[in-house]
Amino acid sequence: MSIGMIILVALALLILFGVMERVLDRMALTDKQALILVAAVFIGGLLPDLALGPVTINPGGALIPIGVCIYLFFHAGTNKERGRALLSALLTAASVYAIGRFFPAEPETMPFDPLILYGLCGGLIAWILGRSRRSAFIAGILGVTLADVMTSIMLWTRGIQQTLHLGSAGALDAMVISGLTAVLLCELFGEIMERIASKSSSDAPLKGGNHA
Amino acid sequence: MKKLIFLLPLLLLSFPADASADSTIRTVTDASGAPLFTFCGDLNTGDEYISENNTLYRIQSVHDTNAIAACIGPEAMPDVSFLELGQTQPVFASTEVSAKNAKTTDKKDDQRKLIAMYVTHSDESYIPTDGTESKDGHGGIYDVARKFRDNLQAQGVDVILDESTHLPHDAGAYRRSRQTAERLLQKRPDAIIDIHRDGIPDEGEYEKQLDGKQASRIRLLVGKSNQNSAVNREFAKQLKAVADKQYPGLIKDIFIGKGNYNQDLSPNAILLEFGTHTITKDRVLASTELMADVVSTTLYGPQTGSAKAEAPKQEQKKNSSSMTGIVILIVAAVIGILIFALAQTGGSGMKNKITRGISEMTGGLMGKKPHKDN
Repeated sequence: MSIGMIILVALALLILFGVMERVLDRMALTDKQALILVAAVFIGGLLPDLALGPVTINPGGALIPIGVCIYLFFHAGTNKERGRALLSALLTAASVYAIGRFFPAEPETMPFDPLILYGLCGGLIAWILGRSRRSAFIAGILGVTLADVMTSIMLWTRGIQQTLHLGSAGALDAMVISGLTAVLLCELFGEIMERIASKSSSDAPLKGGNHA
Repeated sequence: MKKLIFLLPLLLLSFPADASADSTIRTVTDASGAPLFTFCGDLNTGDEYISENNTLYRIQSVHDTNAIAACIGPEAMPDVSFLELGQTQPVFASTEVSAKNAKTTDKKDDQRKLIAMYVTHSDESYIPTDGTESKDGHGGIYDVARKFRDNLQAQGVDVILDESTHLPHDAGAYRRSRQTAERLLQKRPDAIIDIHRDGIPDEGEYEKQLDGKQASRIRLLVGKSNQNSAVNREFAKQLKAVADKQYPGLIKDIFIGKGNYNQDLSPNAILLEFGTHTITKDRVLASTELMADVVSTTLYGPQTGSAKAEAPKQEQKKNSSSMTGIVILIVAAVIGILIFALAQTGGSGMKNKITRGISEMTGGLMGKKPHKDN
């Protein structure tokens, strides 16, 4: 079982134990919806990829996560939040692409596993732009996908026919890890900052962006 | 801060495409200053190295152009005395196997011999033969992979060589090749091999006369940053032990460094460095025949029954190494969940939430029963 699938099982357990309740509330998802989505990604991940010319798309690894991103995008509270989510995704994609180019190519030289770094990027960008878990999820998922699309387009323009695999096995790992890392980072950052703020000024109302 | 967020990706995008290709070459010496080996890439304190004569060294300090390794002592290598008892001909030899037929599952699982191969760094090439060290597309390394496949097939092993490219040669290459590796693993191969070449300039470290041929030596690379690391290391040591008996000097060394190399996907995952970019590809192609023999013997044993007797012992060791990895993974996951739950709910809230969750999951048999008003 790949790391992405193992994480999905762990995520399902977290949802069942109620630990994810607040995060899901802020992402406009119920426990039941979240469990159905996790199951759909898991089962869809086992299905064969759909081939569309030089692109292959996996139902579980690409169609469902991107579908969730679209759902979250339209369920954002305000147009401002939608704009921030889109901007976070684009900036994360640019960062993921840049990390690929800027980071050393050999794993032994990488200070972080890039899979984690992509999620950290998405979470950090989404948190700074809007302190939003929804944006973080969208940035984490779409960031990696858009960066892969960008890389493939550049290769195709150079005449290199390399297949772009969206969401298949290893890509599912990257999507799940980066999407969840982004949300968890946003959540951890947000909670810690809010706790510090509420302790330092217990009477004063909390400031900051919306806490979606 | 927001301006910085906008500027950072743009700043990073302005770096040249081959920024990551500038690899540092470091000479590693022992405490007395005697050179041990050269390494292309970054070294980290704690990285390990098993030398040609099976001595374990650990990197103690890393400087600009060199690093110092402490000698830990002789590394215990697997017992391969069974090789002396029989011929090194695989048990289920069949020479009429092609890559296309590799997918067939006619053979029972215990009779099937299947190895999967792929190339993460698609551009890697050999300057004296290919004219460049890096080709934009399928590099010379694919010729090595094909020859290695052919030689394994000649040993009666079914081979799936996935010739997908994973360009560009950057920090995302292993993430892209991970997709290929996972696709290959769906065929349940006995081992999965990532074919590479080294990037050190000194051809002398790799050129060697082996089995009467002008050949190249091979480095085995094991990543430490994954739960399979211990069992991957055992697999590498088994390969080296067999090679040391069959073709002394073929395996240059084993480097155990920071990184994952997608070896978390399988206990029998290994990265092979076939020579370096400054040697001729002909030398490397000659080595593929010897290495095919080593891989086949390591995985499937010699024709006599002694290898079969050896197999359960190796399996036991592998299982115990895998268990250690799984325990570490579970402990890490539990710590992560506790930190997350603590940040979310605070100490008492976390306890209440988890006990309530356990109660709900077990129908009230265990944990704290939920309040009716919740």
